[in-house]
Order: sequence, then C-alpha cells, then structure tokens
Amino acid sequence: MKTFIATFYSHFAAVHFKKEIDALGLGRSRLMPVPRSLSSSCGICVRFETADPAPLERLVSEELEQIARVDGTEYITVYRAQDG
Amino acid sequence: MNQKKETLTIIIAGFIIGTVASLLVFFGNSKNMGFCIACFIRDTSGAIGLHRAAPVQYIRPEIIGIVLSSFILASAAKEFKPRGGSSPMTRFILGFFVIIGGLMFLGCPFRMIVRLAGGDLNAIFGVIGFAAGILSGVYFLNKGYSLKRTYKLSMTEGLIFPVIQVVLFILLVSAPAFIFFTEAGGGPGGAHAPILISLAAGLIVGALAQRTRLCMVGGIRDIVLFKDGKLLSGFIAIFVSALATNLILSATTDVSFFKLSLAEQPVAHTDGLWNALGMYLVGFAGALLGGCPLRQLILAGEGNTDSAVTIVGLIVGAAFAHNFGLASSPAGPTLNGQIAVVIGICVSVIIAYMNTFRNSEK
Repeated sequence: MKTFIATFYSHFAAVHFKKEIDALGLGRSRLMPVPRSLSSSCGICVRFETADPAPLERLVSEELEQIARVDGTEYITVYRAQDG
Repeated sequence: MNQKKETLTIIIAGFIIGTVASLLVFFGNSKNMGFCIACFIRDTSGAIGLHRAAPVQYIRPEIIGIVLSSFILASAAKEFKPRGGSSPMTRFILGFFVIIGGLMFLGCPFRMIVRLAGGDLNAIFGVIGFAAGILSGVYFLNKGYSLKRTYKLSMTEGLIFPVIQVVLFILLVSAPAFIFFTEAGGGPGGAHAPILISLAAGLIVGALAQRTRLCMVGGIRDIVLFKDGKLLSGFIAIFVSALATNLILSATTDVSFFKLSLAEQPVAHTDGLWNALGMYLVGFAGALLGGCPLRQLILAGEGNTDSAVTIVGLIVGAAFAHNFGLASSPAGPTLNGQIAVVIGICVSVIIAYMNTFRNSEK
C-alpha cells in the first residue's frame, strides 16, 4: 500500500474525488487540510491509500491540481496539472 | 514537515504575533487594537477619502507590511503564483459583508483575540457568534458548498496588489494634501505607532502568517471538519502571549494595558447580541470565503487575485459602513448597522445555498 495526497482547485472537487476514490474501493481515504510543505494555499486535500495507482488516471480532471506520494515526511509529486 | 512540527511552528509564531500586537499598543496604537485588520482597512479606506469619518483615517503601515512580507517570502520560496477567477464577484460581496459584521463588533477575528487579551469581556459574545457563524459555513461545506476553481494568471495580474501597497506607503510617507489623516487625539485613526515600527510589525506578522498559514476562520473550521487543532493553537498562543505582554507592560509602566470588564472598554460597546451577530456574519462569510481577513491579505501577497478582490470588498464595505452610519461606536450599534448585518446574513445564506445545492445537482 502506498499513500498519496491529492490537491484541487476547488473544495467541491476534493469532496467529489474522495467519493470517487471510495467508489473504486482502492483503500482508506480521508479529507484533511493541505500539508504546509505541499502548498502555501489552505484548501483541503484527499489523503488516500492504494496498492495500484493505475486507476487514478481515470480520476484526472481539470479540477485536480496535483497528486503527491507520501514518503515518510516527504512528498514526491507524481502528477501536476499543466497550469499548476 | 510533519504535523507535530507544523503545530509547534504555529504556536511559536502565535507567541511572537501576540507579543508584537501588544507592543504596538505600547508604541501608540489604540488600546486593544495592536492589530485589527478590519479597523486598519477601514482607516486606510478613510485616508484615501472613500469615507469621511474624521476619527478613522490613516494609511496603516501594518497592512502594507503584511502584504509585502507575504509577497517577498512567497517569491523567495517560489510560492508566488498569480491566480484567480474563482467567483470574484461572490468574493467581493462576501468581503463587503465581512467588514460590515466586523464594524458592528468593532474588530476582525484578530482584534477579537486582542480584545480578550486586554480583558474586554464583550469579545466573549464575539467569539460565540464567530464560532456559530463558522459552524453555519461548515454546514454548507459538508453539504458540498464550493466556489468555482482558480486559474493561473499572468505575473502582472498577481503583482498589482503588492504594487498598490508600495504606492500606499509612498502616499503615507509623503502625506500629500489629498490624503486624510486623523489628528492626534482625534480618534482611533490618530492613535498609531511610529511608521517604521508599524511597518516592521506588519512585516513580522506577515512573514509568520505566510509561513504558517495562520487563519482564525480556518482554525475553527479545521477543528470541526477534521478534528485538526493546528491552526487554532496559533490563535490560542496569540491570546496567551498578548495577555502576558499586557500584564507585564501594566506592571512595568504607568499605563494599564489590561482591564477585566464589560463596560468602558476602548473602542468597544456592550451590546452582547449585536457583538455576537456582527461576528456571526464575519464567521459565516469568512468560512464561505475560506479565510479570515488576515489570511486574505497573505493570499493576496502570494498573487491570489481572488483574495485581492475580497480585500477590495472589505475596503468598499468599510467606506459604506462609515458613509451610511452602519459602523458601531462606543455608544453602541446603529439601527442602520443592525439592518445591514441582517441583510449580510441573508445574502450569505443565499450565496451558500446557490453554491451548495446547485453544485450537487451537477
């Protein structure tokens, strides 16, 4: 299982993304404030676990800003929107 | 940075900010008004002639310092990102009503804490209203409330707001005849620390708030939504350090910086209901905006033009408040102000509803 954090351009997109993640049944997920070291903005993000990140491609939308993999206390960006 | 370290950083930042706020009173700001974003924006609005209430006109260097500090730090950390386009008119209107609520209570969430630390018990009514307002916002957030997404903008777009702060500073220092300044002793606008001290205080608070994302609205929202007390711990630290500094200053100088009472508090009134309703509006509209006035200044410094539009809403709201007798005074709230606060609450409900249930229909 790997842990990821997804950030968004709107609050609604984060809530919607969590619902989609839960529907896919990938693993545990929760809404939380965006970690400071990931962004200076103060929106909410979705922290989720998955063994196989492949289904994530389906969830990429224009509202998705970035997805980072959580590696200890570090965040490694695995996806970033073109205008992000 | 892990969660514990983030929390510790915010608490340390809160301690420094609380001390700075109390020291600003020592250096000349009105009592229990070391920092007040709503009051300072109202003063600046008056200084550039948008309202003509003679007691509250002064270009506040603290605001300039906060924005420029955020801009400089964000630029250095590659966090300056011009963006905007997220429901700008909605944000303008919400900003407008945030200050209408703030001027009913006579302070923003920051001053609410500073007033408590000065012994002003009226602020307790403000805290109750403020928390209730945020809970109302959280209700809609849980139902799917969201403003539209932000978009990347040009560098010029993001630079405009910080540049305006430089222009304001030049106007403050050069003091041309067309800028209005309250005379010393003429009201809260005439009570201020020396320019460089105020500017330095703004720079310090701006830097700490940019690094920690300190936000009073976010503090209560995160506790309720995520059981995350990180942001709130910063404001508790501000209260503790401002209180300690007030007590130390009272003990070591001839002036009292702390008086525990409801009556005769500086720049405050004792109408509990309207203190609570004013801050209810600030909390509700602030939660819909996603941040308190301090946070909006920081975001505007980072290139967020939605927050800059919100600040313009605050400036225009402050002008309306004084042009149409909406702002309270130590004598109490005005009928016009009470009507405006009720309208503000109704407008916030409509905005919340339209951006909640219309979203979930998609």
